[in-house]
Amino acid sequence: MLSTLLSAVAFGVVLASIIAIAAMGFTIQFGLTNVLNLSYGGVMTIGGYVAYLAVAHGISAWYGLVLGAAAGAVATLVIGHGLLRRFAARGTKVFEMMMVTLGLGLVIDYTLQAISHNNISQFTVLQSAPLHLGPVTLTPTQVIITAVGLAIFIGLEALLRLTRIGKALRAMASDPSLARACGIKTSRIVVFTWLLSGALCGLAGVVYIINAQSIGYTTGELFLPLVIAAAILGGAGSPSGAILAALLMGIVTQVFSAYGNASYSTAAGFGILVIVLLTRPSAVLSKGENEELALS
Amino acid sequence: MKAARLKTAAIVGAAAMALGACGSSGTATNGGGSGGSGGAALTVAGVIAITGASDFEGQNQAGGILPAIYAINQAGGVLGHKLVYKGVDTRADPADALPAVQQMLATTHNLVMVAGPGSNSAPTIVPVLNAAKVPMTAVAGESAFDRTTDQYFWRLFPPDAANGVAMALWAKQKGYTRVAVVFGTDTGSQGDKPGVVAGLKALNIPVVSDINLTPDQPTYLSSVHRLMAAHPQVIMTESDAATAGTFFGELKQLGGLVPIIGTEATFTAPWITAVKGALGSSFQQAFTSLITAPSSKTAAVTAFEQAVTADKSQVPKPWQSYLNNPFSITYWDGMVAVALAMNAAHSTKPTVFNKYIPQVTNPGPGKVVVYTYAQGVKELKAGKQIQYYGASGLIDFNQYHNSFGNQEAVGSNGSSQPVKLGTVTAKQIEAVPVTGVQ
Repeated sequence: MLSTLLSAVAFGVVLASIIAIAAMGFTIQFGLTNVLNLSYGGVMTIGGYVAYLAVAHGISAWYGLVLGAAAGAVATLVIGHGLLRRFAARGTKVFEMMMVTLGLGLVIDYTLQAISHNNISQFTVLQSAPLHLGPVTLTPTQVIITAVGLAIFIGLEALLRLTRIGKALRAMASDPSLARACGIKTSRIVVFTWLLSGALCGLAGVVYIINAQSIGYTTGELFLPLVIAAAILGGAGSPSGAILAALLMGIVTQVFSAYGNASYSTAAGFGILVIVLLTRPSAVLSKGENEELALS
Repeated sequence: MKAARLKTAAIVGAAAMALGACGSSGTATNGGGSGGSGGAALTVAGVIAITGASDFEGQNQAGGILPAIYAINQAGGVLGHKLVYKGVDTRADPADALPAVQQMLATTHNLVMVAGPGSNSAPTIVPVLNAAKVPMTAVAGESAFDRTTDQYFWRLFPPDAANGVAMALWAKQKGYTRVAVVFGTDTGSQGDKPGVVAGLKALNIPVVSDINLTPDQPTYLSSVHRLMAAHPQVIMTESDAATAGTFFGELKQLGGLVPIIGTEATFTAPWITAVKGALGSSFQQAFTSLITAPSSKTAAVTAFEQAVTADKSQVPKPWQSYLNNPFSITYWDGMVAVALAMNAAHSTKPTVFNKYIPQVTNPGPGKVVVYTYAQGVKELKAGKQIQYYGASGLIDFNQYHNSFGNQEAVGSNGSSQPVKLGTVTAKQIEAVPVTGVQ
């Protein structure tokens, strides 16, 4: 019984690591720009496909991680700085911008569908014998995924708290007008945020397909609800909140799978989101009343 | 605070609606064959999932129906009419399927037959097509159609329970006494599950673990752990390809891989590719599937293979995968049988030729056995009664318009080429007293 619980918690941590990498990227971008970017799932899939192609051409999976992150960064910069900024300049509001990103996400999905001919491609890398950690059995890949998630969280927190650009990013997320008045070059911060968010998005796509061992054109789209849920649950702009929310959702999902009907496990994870939204809305809406887009 | 709460609810609600909208779309059409000389072209509609997660259903159909239309048109068409194919996309969702079919019925001229529908939309669509008096060759295993009274419904495919009972019989033959069932929560997989469970129950084989998998999750580790804790000797399964790849990949990595017996739906190129990729060299040893027994190499099989090869530029890639695809072969046989029925009835009106379908397929005294459309037309013109023996084997519709034969246990050498392991006969299946399957 205890063994099952410990295993479920460990598996929840693995799942949380995958969710958290994506959610941290999503929440930083959402916290700063106020754009609920629904093309994020599509960019995740792009990152995954780039890594898949890299590995298929004999490149190491580790470089695949880097290339996937780079592809995500470039794609997100094109979307955010190249397209969304123009919409914002024309007075597009929060909800309208969300619909624009939804459309962009569909464009990405259906383009990938056409290119991939609807096929599901296998991505089997970093396979080796399982590790027995007391009553818990994990694969080295899963341990690596968890370590990557933790390393990104630590790096991101350090970036935000210890560097000038991180402090500027936090200042702008808190009050863009005041940040601008203080001499912060906000347009550069926005570009940096798109790049950072995109890199994490692409990286999350690669980590996802390493664990799932396959990729299709809907991979990121199907994962996006979990990412958005964790980002909202954790509070906009808060990597630590995102990782805690991801842990909560991951562990609840896996414990539910272990003890209940696995087909309801994902619903149970989202149930947490609903309960928190109903009981403590202030805890999940750290952005307060700021409804302006901040894209320049 | 209230404003903040409303804003949050609005964003989440809008996001949920927007994401939900991603999963549905309208219809699609797809050309195949060509209208030609003689009378106006007759339309064969393929009511099936062409896009979406179940798009393989449309590929399986195209792999059989398009070559059939090609072969029939090459043989001069039906009573001077060429056949054309029109794809109607159900996206495996009744909510998409119903308006698409209604639009098809309202706008399609000379509709003579529907190929499909598949499992997901059949309960919704079959009554509509039956009311419209359109013959359909359904590939839907739901047991609700085992004793249907819908006169325009024809099924050349085993009901789900038959496949499930065959899987249970095969497990018993192999001496397995502890079985785990692992099924996706998608409609197609859940539709096949009761037959498997009922078959195991009828043969007194205990189910030690019953796991449902929500499709396309990034991990199924807890479910894998739960399955391993039950120590099954064999897993009976069906799910979509991506889900199966993830689940069995994690099962193998954690050291819990045991033999796998898949339903007929698992013996498709996407599923085999996904699970083979996840299991590597263990795949061939671990995997068995129970499929409708392919016919011995008759002239019907040769005709099917030749037509697929000749029409390979029209079917989805890879065209070779349809040569042994039980779904494609079933669609081929359905099309040929309906076309022969039109010839036998001297009519392209569904209300006239529908009752001729069993007359040109079922065995009977004095009937000439034919294996191809051209051969059948020739014998009919000579005034003979015919029995079309299909590429899938004997076709013998019962009073409920169902026809199915033996099941075959097959392995895979990594491609979609089946490697025969044994046979479970239709008589063995019928002898198992299955109860509780809706």
